[in-house]
Amino acid sequence: MDRDKRSKLIEGSRTPAYKKVRRVAPGESPVTPVEQTPDPELGHAVIPKERYTSADFMRLEWERLWTKVWLLGGCEQDLREPGDFICTDIGRESVLIVRQRDGALRAFYNVCQHRGNRLRPEGTGSTESFKCQYHHWDYDLDGSFRRIPDLDTFPQGAPPCDGIAQLPCEAWGGFVWFSLDRGIGPLADYLAPVNAHLEPYHFHKMALTRDVTVEWDCNWKASVDAFNESYHVQGIHPQLMWYLHDLDIQIDTYGRHNRYLIPFGTLSPRVRKPNTIPDPIKVIMKAAGMDPADYDGPIENIRRDVQRWKRAHGAAQGKDYSRLNDDQLTDDYHYLIFPNVTLNTHADDLMLFRQRPHPTDPDRMYYDIWTFELVPDGKEWPERPRHQHFVHGDKSIGLVLDQDSQNLPGVQKGMHSAGFRGLWLGAQELRIRHFHKVIDDYVYGPGGRPEGAP
Amino acid sequence: MDLGLRGKKAIVTGATKGIGRAIVEQLVAEGAEVGFCARSEDEVAEAVTALKAKGGHVIGGAVNVRDGEAYKAWLEATARALGGCDVFVPNVSAGGGMDSEKNWWKNFEIDVLHTVRGCEALMEDLKKSGQGAVVIISSTNAIETFAAPMAYNAMKAALITYAKQLSQFVGKHNVRVNALSPGPVYFEGGAWEMIKGTNQKFYDATLRAIPCGRFGTPEEVARVVAFLASPAASLITGANVVADNGFTKGVRY
Repeated sequence: MDRDKRSKLIEGSRTPAYKKVRRVAPGESPVTPVEQTPDPELGHAVIPKERYTSADFMRLEWERLWTKVWLLGGCEQDLREPGDFICTDIGRESVLIVRQRDGALRAFYNVCQHRGNRLRPEGTGSTESFKCQYHHWDYDLDGSFRRIPDLDTFPQGAPPCDGIAQLPCEAWGGFVWFSLDRGIGPLADYLAPVNAHLEPYHFHKMALTRDVTVEWDCNWKASVDAFNESYHVQGIHPQLMWYLHDLDIQIDTYGRHNRYLIPFGTLSPRVRKPNTIPDPIKVIMKAAGMDPADYDGPIENIRRDVQRWKRAHGAAQGKDYSRLNDDQLTDDYHYLIFPNVTLNTHADDLMLFRQRPHPTDPDRMYYDIWTFELVPDGKEWPERPRHQHFVHGDKSIGLVLDQDSQNLPGVQKGMHSAGFRGLWLGAQELRIRHFHKVIDDYVYGPGGRPEGAP
Repeated sequence: MDLGLRGKKAIVTGATKGIGRAIVEQLVAEGAEVGFCARSEDEVAEAVTALKAKGGHVIGGAVNVRDGEAYKAWLEATARALGGCDVFVPNVSAGGGMDSEKNWWKNFEIDVLHTVRGCEALMEDLKKSGQGAVVIISSTNAIETFAAPMAYNAMKAALITYAKQLSQFVGKHNVRVNALSPGPVYFEGGAWEMIKGTNQKFYDATLRAIPCGRFGTPEEVARVVAFLASPAASLITGANVVADNGFTKGVRY
């Protein structure tokens, strides 16, 4: 590129100047730390595209990552009574998580010890026992054999394992977690410090309002990446520029996990200030109980005024915000719990994404959307929504997520192109770089990724 | 054609951006001396500086037209500072919205009452002018169904009725009163720019309804305002002039 063209490119591509939003000071946050963590030194190298498409890399991920981490299994609200269970698939495996008669939780491989049949399809339910539909081998809630029809015709007796194999299982934050690594340490150690950050949101008081699984034609990491930066807002979510600040983003990394803090209820510096309150910001005001038609202040004060309003009226609305800081009342505290749980945390709701790899195909994945809403004290807990499962494109999942999902199959196709080297990431995409560094740590160990490896 | 606006004293409300700003610029270009207001002090100061840099004779003030007393005081002070008032263009609007009943109060107080209060406060000066003219900014939303049954639409309709009847009432004093109903007008920082970003489908549908496929500009609206405000339009009073690039479909014969 000649000098003139290069200088034109630089001049025409500058980030708009902006005034930083006001954020709470560390002393103003009762529980969740707000101190910015130092940016890790992760260099500027291209992220290899092959890790999105290679069956070999997918196998390495399975052996060294998926089977070595804690994984989100489901919601504790689906496991209130003894016999309540969740059946969830991960890769080629399937796992049963079961509330025991003594109130404990146990997880098992979802597989009959007789001929290998799955005991249950994916989903939630309540049962007295797990009876295989093939020959009616029956397992108790604790996984032990309950009845083996015609056991006397097996000269070798029952399998010596005593039942289905148990897996580590723990609850945290209203969610149940399991691991395919029987030697894994405690869940709390794995989640730290993010578990402490999220404690004041009271997830256990939030009811599941949406439970959707969409099959996407992309690698699971392309989907994680898509939610780990706000740089794409100006690209595929233009409407959000009248809703959030997409440039004044605080990025923090914590060991294997990371987060960013996005100011909501404010304008992007990429758009001009309109004369009337943008509809997306009205939604935030109305949710807080404010009447946008009654708001006389300038748009730039709305975020602060919504915070004040919620602080003043939360208790009367049956919402306990006492352990949240002011920014948490409006903003998106957006966490990635490695490897595949994305939490858009807000004072009154939670939008959770879980990205799961396809059992065999690196070009496909399952994208789970669970949304939760805070149930105000004294209000009735809503009925659980039915689980929906469909292929991308069959149904809308809402404007913003449709915009994301329409984009991803194109991204995945590009990963296969000879004309593409790999991900060229900027500073706004630091979380993506961090995520891939943690993947490298799992897949390649302390030596790091060998030169030329995916 | 010389519009005859040279040396005329004009007052425009809500004039730091968009249509209001373009009206001031057009009137200044025609040689009028203009007083204008907006809510933000900074934006008024910016507009005054920019207009003066172009050689315009302007004065600006920061006032919330919803505050009747402050608004009246500003109008009177501005007319005194200009040495009278020949042209009044009430342009401020609360805009659309269906959030609550408050939208009705807001559009009533801002769109309707600010226009009425302004006409009453300035009427003596307009009468003294001998060529007084009021151009009330309404909207095509008043005359055809648009989007939703918003207070904005109904209050803009009230302004057309008011303009007609006021024109009859003050005609004998050689004050002309007209309404101007622009169709969708696009400008940077305007409502349609935001709608384009936040509701692309609605934006596209609106654009498709305009036969030549383009929104109006503030400058185009301002030229109609300048004409209606000028002695050149001496025969036109009590009219509602639709300037919408064919956006409305009704036939009014």
